[in-house]
Amino acid sequence: MENTLVEATDVKKDFYTGKITVNALRGLDLNVHKGDFLSIVGPSGSGKTTLLNLIGALDVATSGEVKVFGKDLSSLSRRKRADLRLKSLGFVFQAYNLVPVLTALENVEFVLELQGVGKERRERAQAVLEDLSLGELGDRRPNELSGGQQQRVAVARAVASRPRLVLADEPTANLDSENAKTLLEMMRYLRDEHDMTFVFSTHDPLVVSYASRVVTLRDGRVVSDEQKNSIAEDDEATVH
Amino acid sequence: MATSSTLRIAWRNLGRNRRRTFLALGAIAVGQLAFLATAALLHGYAEKYFDSATGPLVGHIQVHAPEWRDDRSIDLTIQDIHHTADEIRKDPNVAHVSPRIFAPVLAALTEDGFMGMVVGINPALESHKSGLLGDETLSGKIGDRCILVGRVFAQKYDMEPGMQLAVIGQDVDGSIANDLFTITDILSSPVAVVNNLGIVMSLHDAQELLLMSDQAHEIVIHVDDGDLLDETVLRLSSSPLLAGMEVLPWQKIVPHIVSMIKFMDIYLFIILFIVFLAAAAGIANTMLMSTFERTHEFGMLLSLGCGPGRLSRMIAVEAVILGLLGVAIGTVLGLGFFLLTSETGINYAALGGDKSTYEMAYKGLQISSFVFPKLYVRDVVFAVCAVLLTSFISVIWPTLHIARLAPMEAMRS
Repeated sequence: MENTLVEATDVKKDFYTGKITVNALRGLDLNVHKGDFLSIVGPSGSGKTTLLNLIGALDVATSGEVKVFGKDLSSLSRRKRADLRLKSLGFVFQAYNLVPVLTALENVEFVLELQGVGKERRERAQAVLEDLSLGELGDRRPNELSGGQQQRVAVARAVASRPRLVLADEPTANLDSENAKTLLEMMRYLRDEHDMTFVFSTHDPLVVSYASRVVTLRDGRVVSDEQKNSIAEDDEATVH
Repeated sequence: MATSSTLRIAWRNLGRNRRRTFLALGAIAVGQLAFLATAALLHGYAEKYFDSATGPLVGHIQVHAPEWRDDRSIDLTIQDIHHTADEIRKDPNVAHVSPRIFAPVLAALTEDGFMGMVVGINPALESHKSGLLGDETLSGKIGDRCILVGRVFAQKYDMEPGMQLAVIGQDVDGSIANDLFTITDILSSPVAVVNNLGIVMSLHDAQELLLMSDQAHEIVIHVDDGDLLDETVLRLSSSPLLAGMEVLPWQKIVPHIVSMIKFMDIYLFIILFIVFLAAAAGIANTMLMSTFERTHEFGMLLSLGCGPGRLSRMIAVEAVILGLLGVAIGTVLGLGFFLLTSETGINYAALGGDKSTYEMAYKGLQISSFVFPKLYVRDVVFAVCAVLLTSFISVIWPTLHIARLAPMEAMRS
């Protein structure tokens, strides 16, 4: 289906610690559709981050199938998975994930350079920052930015190459509610104006309140998957 | 190829832990200084030994009758010495030709005799920097039974200018040779045998004393271009006038000096190896600590799709910048040491608390306590290449660490 960006079918993921096997995912099924603003919620250890890592091609499933943009990730080499992450996916992590020795602008530019963007990358990076109202922060290094500003720059970096899918692992975990709200508004703007799809793992009720779809995990399985109207959106939320 | 951002990140990363970076820089710089200073001193020594070896006593080339060097027998002479010397002088690479006579004799001022060595020379041919008389003007005359005596020899037997010295020896026929000579000056020579035993007289007087008409024991030759020594030896050897004579380059006459100079090269290599082993350890330690500290950051970059190769390049560029900066500082310090000492020299006697200089005699060669450091561009180039190589070697471990990193595990660290 063209609108389906991610298809996870009967996905199992085991971790081995010495003689102990931890079943992080136990036959999980999930599809992510174009335009989703999807929150994955659940208690600690329910498999949220593991699922995000599998979708993000950062890890491979023990069994089952994870297809992203129609590609079965288990069939991709390490290099091709890295290429997929670089060119088609955007990542936002919890915190402290900007290169500390680069300015905000250089952090965004660096990812564009990794993607092979030529000399125009500086203008493009600047344009992304301007688009997200971060233009005045461009020449600051991460240690000169607040936590909220750092996360917004991280989002700018994640979306600089206009990925179709952005994965965010607890993006508001270290932010106060004001900064979290600003960040979520920014992400929703990107979804609405730039046709991006967002998948979050979160514990934060505020993130859930912004989500258009909430998937709840427990013990490595999906226990609920509900469409909802997010706050400040029209009542007619997109239903896939 | 390092991109501008790789260079930028590498450069700025060096500033993240300045104390550690300065310590690593200091270690490399001191290593480089130690290497350059050692190289300069060893080159200075090598040159001193070379100058001594090819100086007044040995020259660049020597001609003798076969077996004279082993036997020192008075009758093993070169005939037709004037003509032979003139012919040798025609060689395009020959600068100075000095025929000499050496004969052990008994000398006496009064009734008591003592051992001496007649050194017969042509004063005009020996009055240059590499000649037995050097380039200083002597007040005393040589010739017509006027002689010079060596400084140590004179001190030992209380000889002074104006005194008469009786010389008794054996001539080439095996008969007794004796004559009376007037001391006109005391000679300070860089040649130990002349200083300690030398009764320096004109070649003509020595020939008359020893019945060596137009003969000498050796011809010492100095050349213009030392690099053409082998060709010159070959040319002279093939000359009909020198047929049956021994024509030898200095390396065959004083092989121990050649060994010493070679040993200095080996010693220098050992020093270089030790210095750069220490530098490699310093750089590797810095890079490894820096890599482990940044495991989370590397995990994040890997997650974004940055390849391990790119991260390894970043580390390698950091190490190279660190190495080159260290070697640049060390080179400046090394050149400073060289500039401060190359003109004035270093007096080892003064370093030992003695204000005077000393002359060390080694295998008949006089070597002073002064050393004048010499440094060559090749030393600096060699050191820079060694540091570059060291930098690359020192990032092998950090690079292997990066290559094994799994993005998420690294981010969790």
